[in-house]
Amino acid sequence: MMHSPFLRGVLKWCIMIKLLWIVVVTSVLQVSAGTNLTYSQTARLNLKLNNVDLEQVIWSIKNQTEFNFFYSTEEVRNVKDLSVNMANVTAQEVLDQCLKGTNLTYEIVHKAVIIKENELQKATFLKEQEAMQQNSSVKGKVTDVTGQALPGVTITVVGTSRGVITDNDGSYKIDAKSTDKLVFSFIGMESQIVDVKNQKEINVKLKDKTEELEEFTAVAFGKQPKGSVIGSITTIDPGKLKVPSSNLTTAMAGSMAGVIAYQRSGEPGQDNADFFVRGITTFGTNTNPLILIDGIELTSTDLARLQPDDIASFSIMKDATATALYGARGANGVILVTTKQGKEGPAKISVRFENSVSAPTRNVDIADPVTYMKLNNEAVLTRNPLGMLPYSEEKIANTEAGMNSLVYPANDWRKMLFKDYTMNQRANLNISGGGDIARYYVAGSFSKDNGVLKVDNRNNFNNNIDLKNYSLRANVNINVSKTTELMVRLSGNFDDYTGPINGGAAMYRLVMQSNPVLFPAYYPTDETHNFVQHIMFGNYDKGQYVNPYAQMVKGYKDQSRSQMLAQFEIKQDLSFLTEGLSIRGMANVNRTSSFDVSRFYNPFWYSVDSYDRTTDKYVISQINTNGTEYLGYNEGTKYLQSTSYFEGTANYNRTFKDKHSVSGLLVFVARQSLLANAGDLQSSLPSRNTGISGRATYSYDNRYFSEFNFGYNGSERFSKENRFGFFPSAGLAWNISNEAFWKTLKPIISNLKLRYSYGLVGNDQIGSSSDRFFYLSNVNMNSTDRAATFGRDFGTTKNGVYISRYANNDITWETSTKQNFAMELTLKEKVNIIAEYFTEYRKNILMTRDAIPTTMGLSDVMKANVGEASGKGIDISMDYQQVWNKDFWTSARANFTYATSKYEVFDEPEYAERYRSRIGQSLQQNYGYIAERLFVDDAEAANCPKQEFGGTYGGGDIKYTDVNRDGKITEADKVPIGNPTIPEIVYGFGFSLGYKSFDLSAFFQGSANQSFWLTVTDNVLASGSTSTYQLNTSPFRNETQILQAYADSHWSEDNRNVYATWPRLSTTTIANNSQPSTWFMRNAAFLRFKQLEIGYTLPKRLRDKIHTSNLRVYVSGTNLLLFSGFKLWDVEMAGDGLGYPLQRVFNLGLNISFN
Amino acid sequence: MQRDMKKTWIIGVLTLILGCISCSKYLDVVPDNIATLDNAFTMRSEAEKYLYTCYSYMPDDGNAVENPAILGGDEIWAIPESPAPYFNHTMLKIARGYQNANSPIGNSEWDNMYKALRDCNIFLEKIGSVPDLEETEKKQWIAEVKFLKAYYHFHLVRMYGPVPLIKKNLPIDVDIKDVKVSRAPVDSCFAYIKKLIDEAQGDLPATIDDPVKCLGRITKPIALSLKAKVMVTAASPLFNGNTEQSTLVNHDGTKLFNTTYNPAKWDSAVIACKKAIAVCESGGISLYHFIPTVVQKVTDTISVQMSLRNVFTERWNNEIIWANTQSQTNILQRIATPFVDERYLSNPNLVGELGAPLKIAEMFYTENGVPIEEDKTKAGTKWYTLRKAVDSEQLYIQKGFNTVELNYNREPRFYAYLAFDGGIWYGQGVYNDKAPGSLFCLHCKKGEANGKAILDRGITTGYYIKKYVHYQNVMGSGTSDYTITSYPWPIMRLADLYLLYAEALNEANAVPTAEVYNYVNRVRERAGLGTVQDSWAQFSTNPTKYTTKEGMRKIIHRERSIELAFEGQRFWDIRRWKEAPEEYQRAIEGYDIEQSVDVYFYRKKLIINQSFGQKDYFWPIKDSYILNNRNLVQNIGW
Repeated sequence: MMHSPFLRGVLKWCIMIKLLWIVVVTSVLQVSAGTNLTYSQTARLNLKLNNVDLEQVIWSIKNQTEFNFFYSTEEVRNVKDLSVNMANVTAQEVLDQCLKGTNLTYEIVHKAVIIKENELQKATFLKEQEAMQQNSSVKGKVTDVTGQALPGVTITVVGTSRGVITDNDGSYKIDAKSTDKLVFSFIGMESQIVDVKNQKEINVKLKDKTEELEEFTAVAFGKQPKGSVIGSITTIDPGKLKVPSSNLTTAMAGSMAGVIAYQRSGEPGQDNADFFVRGITTFGTNTNPLILIDGIELTSTDLARLQPDDIASFSIMKDATATALYGARGANGVILVTTKQGKEGPAKISVRFENSVSAPTRNVDIADPVTYMKLNNEAVLTRNPLGMLPYSEEKIANTEAGMNSLVYPANDWRKMLFKDYTMNQRANLNISGGGDIARYYVAGSFSKDNGVLKVDNRNNFNNNIDLKNYSLRANVNINVSKTTELMVRLSGNFDDYTGPINGGAAMYRLVMQSNPVLFPAYYPTDETHNFVQHIMFGNYDKGQYVNPYAQMVKGYKDQSRSQMLAQFEIKQDLSFLTEGLSIRGMANVNRTSSFDVSRFYNPFWYSVDSYDRTTDKYVISQINTNGTEYLGYNEGTKYLQSTSYFEGTANYNRTFKDKHSVSGLLVFVARQSLLANAGDLQSSLPSRNTGISGRATYSYDNRYFSEFNFGYNGSERFSKENRFGFFPSAGLAWNISNEAFWKTLKPIISNLKLRYSYGLVGNDQIGSSSDRFFYLSNVNMNSTDRAATFGRDFGTTKNGVYISRYANNDITWETSTKQNFAMELTLKEKVNIIAEYFTEYRKNILMTRDAIPTTMGLSDVMKANVGEASGKGIDISMDYQQVWNKDFWTSARANFTYATSKYEVFDEPEYAERYRSRIGQSLQQNYGYIAERLFVDDAEAANCPKQEFGGTYGGGDIKYTDVNRDGKITEADKVPIGNPTIPEIVYGFGFSLGYKSFDLSAFFQGSANQSFWLTVTDNVLASGSTSTYQLNTSPFRNETQILQAYADSHWSEDNRNVYATWPRLSTTTIANNSQPSTWFMRNAAFLRFKQLEIGYTLPKRLRDKIHTSNLRVYVSGTNLLLFSGFKLWDVEMAGDGLGYPLQRVFNLGLNISFN
Repeated sequence: MQRDMKKTWIIGVLTLILGCISCSKYLDVVPDNIATLDNAFTMRSEAEKYLYTCYSYMPDDGNAVENPAILGGDEIWAIPESPAPYFNHTMLKIARGYQNANSPIGNSEWDNMYKALRDCNIFLEKIGSVPDLEETEKKQWIAEVKFLKAYYHFHLVRMYGPVPLIKKNLPIDVDIKDVKVSRAPVDSCFAYIKKLIDEAQGDLPATIDDPVKCLGRITKPIALSLKAKVMVTAASPLFNGNTEQSTLVNHDGTKLFNTTYNPAKWDSAVIACKKAIAVCESGGISLYHFIPTVVQKVTDTISVQMSLRNVFTERWNNEIIWANTQSQTNILQRIATPFVDERYLSNPNLVGELGAPLKIAEMFYTENGVPIEEDKTKAGTKWYTLRKAVDSEQLYIQKGFNTVELNYNREPRFYAYLAFDGGIWYGQGVYNDKAPGSLFCLHCKKGEANGKAILDRGITTGYYIKKYVHYQNVMGSGTSDYTITSYPWPIMRLADLYLLYAEALNEANAVPTAEVYNYVNRVRERAGLGTVQDSWAQFSTNPTKYTTKEGMRKIIHRERSIELAFEGQRFWDIRRWKEAPEEYQRAIEGYDIEQSVDVYFYRKKLIINQSFGQKDYFWPIKDSYILNNRNLVQNIGW
């Protein structure tokens, strides 16, 4: 596949780099390699088998060791009637005995055992046959194991400088004597030496260089063999994260044990899912897990933009042992992602194209305009029988009759603003390969996500959401010397966004907040206005109403985000100092920036002046004077952050006397980040973290494992005395299935391991970013809030002094004590189960001292590390794989996470009512009134306990329970209501199967134990650093539309349904009805058919014809079905139901690879 | 060579590990000169900012959103529920009976006052360390802050009754037990306030030397006037021998109210008032009389009205003792101003929502200076029957206009303070009262310029509060075309002090002395009315009312309610006098504003029946405050 000049260029570049480094580095570092005691010499095993074939022997070896075998089943099954009874021997000794006298031989490469036909014997045989025959030339073809021709393979005659290179179809011709030996070599492949003998045609199959045959798990600052890991780490196959979305985080829910995740919005660019490792166990500021991509701390947006194709490993670290090394940063769990690196071999190119169609999973039903008017009138009359009716009978009748739609408009704003579906595209390319000296992985991707907004053709700009994302990544590994490896990673990620000025979700909200009957979206140009250049938007009265169409098309916003990342890493093997020692240094810098610019005109508003029904003629006129025909301009916020990071590690890893494995790790880290527009002096100071941490492990005979970790970390946030924290942890594991007594069970339970860990982790991000330095007071010496004015004409104004924080030296880390009990189980090599139970206890949670009375006169609340909370739960994952025959395979997976939390110590008043205390309640527990029903009439309302919310109420308003029976409904009657506001249970399950060239996979995801509330007040919910605006669903307030569900079921004087969905209508907020209560509480549990994918891979025969190594086309669908008791909108959006809906996506994809 | 390399590596590794020893330095990101509280007292100019900080807590009296005395009582009404209110109507909820202990309306005053007291104490603790502050100035500043401390405590006492006194600040890290303070008995509260004023007054200036820059700062007349008010308040029935509050007791048994009446409190109030009047008058403060500056001399009728309007709205007129520069009155004027100039109906800044209930309109005297119900010349008048205005009334009511008797033949303050359907509105660009036909006149029936139109603004009762609107405000048609001459909210003016003095003197003596009449008459004279003695003797059905202490008390209370109407006094006065239950008996009524024909429009229409219970004398302490400080006892009834 070396046709393209580009690829040849890449290869040439690699060779150049290779040479350069040899020259430069070898002259600088004259480092000698140490000798390695290989695994084959250390692994010991016991065998007692009678009358078995070789395959069974191999299985037994495999079970006791970490060897992987490569063999032809047919060949090894032919070696029968073996009896082996050996103890404490190496695999070599066993194989030597078993293969004696057969035509098979073996080769051990690291942990791979290759069993093959004994070439030597064959050759001897042939030699005897055709002795002394001399060849003048040899020809043949070189292919890879799949039979693909390999061009560019070097063939040299050993001991000479003679050599040729295979041509495009892999064939060669070389002069050789029968005594010569030919060496076939090619980058990334095992070289082969062939004796020419008397052969005239030598066809050679070259194998890929086998690397890392053993499975490793990524752990903090390194990796460990999978079998020896004690900490609780979930590893996901990155392939499982491939969903037809440009946002990786949307794939997280239900696909990883131990992660609680949910998605609230479907708006491109704003659709990050929220995710927490094992739930939330703190009521402090930071609840988010630490996200590390190639060791660099990044944000969830960076994670969202990562391409699944580029991910080599994705792990979630959950317990103290797994995260202790991150010390002060790991308390909320760690998500560790590494990107792919190049492997030796010819350039491997993989391309993926996807085109998807997305549409809302569910649209909210809004009552029609006529109902809107009738009910709006009802809302006025029911509260005030003498009130002014907003809509006349005549208007209602004419609208209903469908009279002139400009004069009697009946707008379906949603139809006017939104399309039914939209198309999104994604493309992804990666190339990897390399030689002995350097390896590369280069990837680029492009995605384009469109919103569902309509565009007015009279504007020449696009106000629809158009989010383009470009990313580029280059990972290069260079062997500077035999013991030194250098890695350079560069990546850039760029978002270009164009969209409506206030974002897509705001447009959805405007639909809800706009009056449907006062004016049309715009008037057509009529005779009197034919000179008009602008769109004649509709409005009413003085033009103070919201015309959502005008808001949408009046302008657009350009937004850009870019992130550049450069990383340099060097690894040095120090085995020459002492066996098993290596060191590593890594430094990276990261710049993230974003800005936005809006351009818009001020709409001209028009309204109908008069209408003559007999002639159907109307007259319109302009009602505002501040419209513009040209665009105005507004610069938005700009964000710029720089981060730099250094990490140095020393690693020691050695096995003594074959059974005692010891490892040690010492890490030093330093991290700094700076914000360009922090807002104030204290926030502008750099954020820094530093510390050392370490790990020591000891394992005996692959049966008993122990591990000790510590983190000793410092943060700039605390006073000198409290700056450093020590976070130790320890763990033990027992692999029962490796015990001798387990042998008989092994065929059934092939693996059983128990693990336990206990330890501390910290969290330094306890306060908001503006509240970093608790040990310093924060005084604004020039505060306008404390300004005073004097003088005859108020001429002297001086700002005052505002204390926004009082110094407190004692503020320190939040610490978390975590315990983890786990069991790993493999049944018949087919079913893997990992079940874990965890507990967590957080101390020192920063919280507001409620005990300090207001009479202290503090201008800021006092905070202290007094809160405590605990959490516990289980997570289970299961997978199953079965290959039935060469044409048919199946697999299934499932996982389940349950995480719950509760307050242990909370500074709160001494309530007279015990139920008011938060102690023992979930951290996400909501409090509210118990709503019994609606009042039947005013008389009943007057005779029930007074509901003291400051406002009138009566028949049709919500009746609450007087829990403490004091004769009035007050704050003291609020009780914990419903489930927590984030799900306690998240689960997923799915299966895949393949038959011949077809594959099919399906995945379901669900969550449970969660409540949410229909939003009935203007609600801004802040969680962590983000805040979401939930639209008030109360109808008629500020022209808010009425949901069909409310129109269908509300209390009215004619229909006194005391269990109606909505209370008595009103045009204003009724304080009595907007209290948090069980009335508007809903169950957020759901199960959704999240993903279905059907793929077809072109059979090899056809692939060869078009010179591809892999070609797969697939169709997939996301969010196909939803099962939930809640029907108003997609329940996963919870209280944000009137925002940008979640999307159902149908996707067509193509994946092609070339070797 | 090989060995050297090894050494290099060992050194490398050691450096890495030992690197952390310098970690500590790495984490010192905070530079030395971060602003802390001490920076506020390193030099005079910074310390002055702290002085301003202490002033910044002055209650925003001129803001209907903040001051309960504007919309929280029975004096002014607004539209209770509206979809898009121009301003926050929270305070009206108190008047509508929605006060509660769960989330008390106006609770922020409690928080603000205690924050203010902490800052005042910080100032007093640290001001001594300012090196470049001259001794006299330092003394004056200390006196100002002590005065503010007194005022802030007084503000709390008026609202809450007995409150915890913050004489000194508790340190931040004090034991949680010590911060749980208790309420001090009212007598201790008044005594402490008095002590602070006494300490302050000596160091305060008699007048402001630099009026351009410093008007609004505390002077000696202000301090003594406040003291007078404090002493009168302490002597008033609410705080002097109030047996209804006898059950308000701290958990340790401390009684928070005295239950035996002490007449001597009136004696000290008299002394305080007299002293204050003397200092004010010697400082050039006198009753204000209008001097026309705009055009030619105005008629006497308008001149008297202008004296009465401008005494409140004319910045720093000679009657002002204390005006609050932290509270300017732009928004108040907007929400009070109707479409005076009926050409500018689209001006969104003319909200005209504040309205006086009919009972307040009835409260004003007749032209004879006696209550309408006592005026024997009007006996038998049906106040709500209609008649046409005659020519001689054209400076009050538009010529030929048909309106109720209530609007005819009233005292000048009625016309100066209130605007109504058919009523003449002087000013706002039209000043020629020699041609009464050219003057503005309101039209308030439905369909008319100032009639009921939009849901969320405009007419509420039929009487607009003209008193709040400066007569030179200029209105136009555009969105920003309402140029307001703002004024600092007058907290204390001489008429107030005169009436306090008369009240105290009347209470202190068995029968009213000449001095009592004298000070009431000074106020009446400026209002264009005859003396108490003459008016009652000639026109009242109860001609000897003024000769008894009780009768004179009623006269003084009424005079005070009229003179200081809408100035945020009535709310507190009727509580102080314990007359609120009685006053609240009278319903809030307005005209039938939904009507466009006069006979229907002028029908009385009930807006709300108010009620006033024992608990309404004082604010509830927020429930949650009591939850976290069990030493605070709740006011009775909450």
